[in-house]
Amino acid sequence: MTDPHIDEALRALLPRLRRFALWLARDPNAADDLVQSTVERALSRWSTRREAESLRAWLFAILYRIYLDGKRRAGFYARILGSLAQEEEPTWPSAERVAVAHSTLAAFASLPVEQRSLLLWVTVEGMSYQEVADVLQVPIGTVMSRLSRARRALRQLGEGHVPESPALRLLK
Amino acid sequence: MTQTPPNEHDIHAYVDGHLDGPARGEVERYLARHPEREAEVLAWRQDAQQLRALLAGDMAPSATLDPALVRARKRHRRVARLAMAAALVLCLAVGGVAGWAARGMGAGDSQPMADAMEAYRLLAVDHGLGMDITTGNEGDLRSWVAGRVDPDVHLPDLADAGFRPMGGRLFATSQGPAAMLLYDDGNGHTVSFYVRPPGPVRHMLPRGQREQDGLLADYWSRDGHNYAVVALANAAGRLAAQRVVGRSI
Repeated sequence: MTDPHIDEALRALLPRLRRFALWLARDPNAADDLVQSTVERALSRWSTRREAESLRAWLFAILYRIYLDGKRRAGFYARILGSLAQEEEPTWPSAERVAVAHSTLAAFASLPVEQRSLLLWVTVEGMSYQEVADVLQVPIGTVMSRLSRARRALRQLGEGHVPESPALRLLK
Repeated sequence: MTQTPPNEHDIHAYVDGHLDGPARGEVERYLARHPEREAEVLAWRQDAQQLRALLAGDMAPSATLDPALVRARKRHRRVARLAMAAALVLCLAVGGVAGWAARGMGAGDSQPMADAMEAYRLLAVDHGLGMDITTGNEGDLRSWVAGRVDPDVHLPDLADAGFRPMGGRLFATSQGPAAMLLYDDGNGHTVSFYVRPPGPVRHMLPRGQREQDGLLADYWSRDGHNYAVVALANAAGRLAAQRVVGRSI
């Protein structure tokens, strides 16, 4: 694959990457940083990619990994600074704030990172369970049970059993 | 008609619409017999549809994230990093050369025979120190220096140049003992003859002369010793030093 072809393939998936990044980071700037790091890493590791592998799943895996690493580091520093509380505080722009008004979205936004990712990959992106298992590097059976948990959690939160969460505090 | 519930995979596949054929029928039949399970699964499906609808909107494209741009920025950064690395190497090289050139600086005399001038100032100008030996006899002075500094020290014969010895004093340097001998020309002009082992930085000195703070120093090296003749930097001092140096080298 030549450089322009690679660029074209990546460009086509940018909107999906941005959407995933936004729902991971819940901050537009952080999301774009995530996507940029993902594209950079994808470009430098392109040769290590297996042709059979879905490009989308590969990119999601990269982005997810970068996000988790960043979060770990942030958590580490936050613990050092003794301010763990502010770590999860999302900073929505006004447009997204409106969108969050929808209870399902609000519930979705307040799910743990992995459940959010799982639901987005499976329901919105339509990724196969095997692809998700590859991204998370767990057996497919584990994906199934985690998906059940995620769906129950979303249901529970969406039905109003909503714990006080930063995402919802913004709506008042 | 089986009573075994469908496995998790099939339930989710059913929710996500991936299940077709007999497996789908089986799940549907099972759910029909288990209303509470059916309610949950249908709610899941509704949630999934809602999420899909709510999140489906594409985000506005961001120009800064275009792969071609990212690639260009990456290349640019690599060039910048290379430039930085080159600059670092250059800095190290410059620092190394400068450090090598400046080695020993601050370890003592940055100017040749500064200690000789300091010694002259202490003894002849400020009279801050006494002599170790006070003698007008050149032979006594010669053996005193030979015993305390080195037998190889060349002392000038200054008697016929009109100078008579006044005495001498030992100084300690980190390379060994140094001695300063004072001579007087009978007209109140004091000239010092200073000898010491070569310093750590300036091993052997080229023949030279310099003036600093009203003092004049003539210096040279010979047979493993550094010598200096120090006098006041005035006309009389210059003349006196010239005469001493002429006899010493």
